[in-house]
Amino acid sequence: MTDQALIIQFQNGEAKEAAFTQLLKRHRETVFFQIKKTVLDHADADDIAQAVWIKVWNKLDGFKQESTFSTWLFRVAYNETLNFIAQKKRLKTHTTQNELDHSLEHPSSQNALKETTIQIKLERAIAELPEKQRFVFMLRYYEAFDYEKIASITGTTVGGAKANYHQAVKKMTLILEQA
Amino acid sequence: MNDMNDMENESISKALEEALKSFEAKTKQVPVGYFDQFEMEVMQKIKAEGQTPQKARIVNLFLNQRKYLVAASLLFAIATGYLFFTKAGNTTTQIAKVEMIEIETLPDELIEDFVNNNEYVAEVEWNSAIETAGTNFISTNHYKD
Repeated sequence: MTDQALIIQFQNGEAKEAAFTQLLKRHRETVFFQIKKTVLDHADADDIAQAVWIKVWNKLDGFKQESTFSTWLFRVAYNETLNFIAQKKRLKTHTTQNELDHSLEHPSSQNALKETTIQIKLERAIAELPEKQRFVFMLRYYEAFDYEKIASITGTTVGGAKANYHQAVKKMTLILEQA
Repeated sequence: MNDMNDMENESISKALEEALKSFEAKTKQVPVGYFDQFEMEVMQKIKAEGQTPQKARIVNLFLNQRKYLVAASLLFAIATGYLFFTKAGNTTTQIAKVEMIEIETLPDELIEDFVNNNEYVAEVEWNSAIETAGTNFISTNHYKD
């Protein structure tokens, strides 16, 4: 079943849970990894992703399908991610540095990849990007979303989305080139 | 213009590309069975929320218009008071006017008779007023002595 059909099924109250879990299974990984690439910490990404899907359950009845479900879903993910980061900052924890250190010290797989200098540099560069730029870059580079979709997700213009991507690439390149 | 061209050009350096590939591989490392567990946890939380009675949102009616309501109430009170007292004054004035008009219409003989008949009363009242004033005068001067 297409996303639209599942949404209609959900909104009609027919097998709501079944429709929702279908949507969740279909999109959970892309959403989760997008969030994780932005916040860099697995536990934080887990919290945010759960909040996203709970919000989807609560708001899906009102979704008018003026955009695709994917766009709407990522918009929810974008807002929840930024809210989470802002909340953490308000608690005055040095989130970026802590989560980076944590991610570097605790690889989550038994086959941990060898951390090269350049990889460490890149992760620091990503951590230094403003969150919005980070999110835009990840959407464009890894998900290959077009700029119209990215602009719709982040509430910016196409030009703004392009500028964010371009700036992110520039900063990361600069840091990698440094000794 | 150069900036626009730069923005359209999305090529990135080989070094950055390699680093981004490794970054993705690392990010995608999750515990075994993570996503199945994730789905269960989400559904549990949704069900738990569904069973918790939602607190009714308290909506303050007319919150934004409150100051206008207060101002309107004051104006109403002032206007009502003004109208009330103005009307009462008018009535008294009207009565007085009626009385004056009535006196003017009376014949002179009738007025003279009234004055003559009540002259004694007026004189008594006048003498009494003088006595009172005189008593007060003496009392005052006594203290001065």
